[in-house]
Amino acid sequence: MNQQAIQLRLGIVAMLAAAFLIFYAIPNWVSSPSNVRNLVLSPLFWPYILSGLTGLVGLGLVIAGRRMSATTEPVNDAIEDPRAGLVRLCAMAGLMALVFWAMPRLGMVWTSMLAFAAMAFLIRTRHPVTAVVCAALTPLVLYAFFAHVAGVAIPQGILVRLP
Amino acid sequence: MSLFDNVMAGLALVGNINAFLSLAIGIVIGVIGGAIPGISATMAVALALPFTFPMEAINGILLLLGVYKGGIFGGSIPAILIKTPGTPASSATVLDGHPMAARGEAGRALGMALWASCTADLISNLSLILFAGWLASFALSFGPPEFFALILFSLTIIAGVSGDSLLRGALSALLGLLLATIGLDLIYGTNRFTFGDPNLMGGLNFIAVLIGLFAIPEILNTVWHPTGHLGNVQKLGKNWVTFADYRRCFKTIVRGSFIGVFLGSIPGIGAAPAAFLSYSEARRKSPNKANFGKGEIEGVAASEAGNNGVAGATLIPLLALGVPGDVITAIIIGAFMVHGLQPGPMMFVMNSDIIYGLFIGLIFSSALLFVIGGLAIRGFKPVADIPRRILMPMVLVLCIYGVFAVNNNLFDVGVMFVMGWVGFVMGRCHIPAAPFLIAFILGPMLEDNFRQAMLMSGGSPVILLRGPITWFFWGVTALTVIAIARGSLDKARETG
Repeated sequence: MNQQAIQLRLGIVAMLAAAFLIFYAIPNWVSSPSNVRNLVLSPLFWPYILSGLTGLVGLGLVIAGRRMSATTEPVNDAIEDPRAGLVRLCAMAGLMALVFWAMPRLGMVWTSMLAFAAMAFLIRTRHPVTAVVCAALTPLVLYAFFAHVAGVAIPQGILVRLP
Repeated sequence: MSLFDNVMAGLALVGNINAFLSLAIGIVIGVIGGAIPGISATMAVALALPFTFPMEAINGILLLLGVYKGGIFGGSIPAILIKTPGTPASSATVLDGHPMAARGEAGRALGMALWASCTADLISNLSLILFAGWLASFALSFGPPEFFALILFSLTIIAGVSGDSLLRGALSALLGLLLATIGLDLIYGTNRFTFGDPNLMGGLNFIAVLIGLFAIPEILNTVWHPTGHLGNVQKLGKNWVTFADYRRCFKTIVRGSFIGVFLGSIPGIGAAPAAFLSYSEARRKSPNKANFGKGEIEGVAASEAGNNGVAGATLIPLLALGVPGDVITAIIIGAFMVHGLQPGPMMFVMNSDIIYGLFIGLIFSSALLFVIGGLAIRGFKPVADIPRRILMPMVLVLCIYGVFAVNNNLFDVGVMFVMGWVGFVMGRCHIPAAPFLIAFILGPMLEDNFRQAMLMSGGSPVILLRGPITWFFWGVTALTVIAIARGSLDKARETG
């Protein structure tokens, strides 16, 4: 994708987002008391102003994008295998969702160990042994610090509980 | 008592090893706390507070002030080394500090951060001593309309951190402002985009958004292209900051320090906006403005001078009026009260020895920060040498713990992950993240002060122009907008 394409797409997305906010999101998801006498004091006022400005900036991006000279130069550096990159990103999204789900169940320490190891192998580390050792030690050290020095109640989960 | 008597009384109070040890221990705790993302200077001060209860009043307060100052500097270490600001105040340091680290000049960036921090700290402390009374009375005349005008002016700094496209910077800022509307309405208490979830009622956690926006995209970039860093040097480097660097940046450091002093003396502004404003001013005035955001040492100096300039100045309203300038000084005021002291004008009469003792201790704190900060940089050196594909999973785990620790809330970890993806997409589309963050910080202040001003005037906008302070800020805002517009037009003409 070149600069012009990005600029145009950003502008269109900004205008669509503004329209969505103005016509659907704000009326449905922002509540306002019925007795607000002055428009500027209403909880709706600020979101509407910001949405309107987003639409205007979107329009500006589209106009600026149309004026741009079309170049074929890509905006981001190409990688060897974009398909594999995309698969890794999807796997990382899955890993993040799994971490979020597992933390209250397995506990933050065990989940972090698994997340560390999984991520290290996802990005094909050249130091697998170091990665496994660090995966085990880092969450334990952080647990010791946060739980016993900072007094933070780190979630322990339902399986193995640490002192 | 004369000034000389006061100084002597203060010296008698702090002229012992315990006082200096307390200050030094405080700075060490602060630097370590600030250097761990998610701990932040605020949390470090809060954690240290209970340990000061059995200490003598002056020693306890000096320890907390040491934590505060050390924490603000410590935040720059991970900001430069791993692109994860240890404190919100270090967000601006990432912009140039990390690119410098990426090309093997982490040592130079950290050195400049330390020199700028110590200089700004010294200027801030001297300002506290010289202008405490005067600046505090000036800050007292700030009401909601004045705050609104000031914050509106502060938003013009977005132009300075927007990179190549002002429109993309504006879009980023609007996203930040929109995200800041999430939560309960402060005047009516009604829901805005909360979807009935209690986790959203207090708004999104700032630290979660901050770390999500800056640190997680780095992790995702590594996932997208694991070998992309090969060939890029990511070490502390042999280059150290030189006196020539310092001399070149000296004007920027002094300017940034005074911006920090000014904003710090106004309650409620904080160190992060000061850092960004200082950065923006430095960029505007610098002959190397094209290098800003790409690893310009002047950018690091400006950011660190801005945020450290706040550290001494936030004590101005605290000591002179008993009004805490930010969250940290609100915690420190607790320490005063625990020791039976009531900060305010009467303290200058009743406990002048403590006031002057603190002043003397603060002056020495700049020198101690220089020594301890220098050691800390060397201590954190191994971080720069860790292989990236080991460091990034480590950063992920550190972020999870750090964000959770702020509120003991797993929901914040989810917010961080989501913001990480937002930051990643923004990065791919070349939308700068800094305007988003600035707007997210300033947005609620802007809205609250606007609506409070409207409440005061019964809806009349005339109140926003009610006196010389508002005229001044509206004037400089207008001048800045005109300068930005002219700059954009010139740039458009140049590109054809």
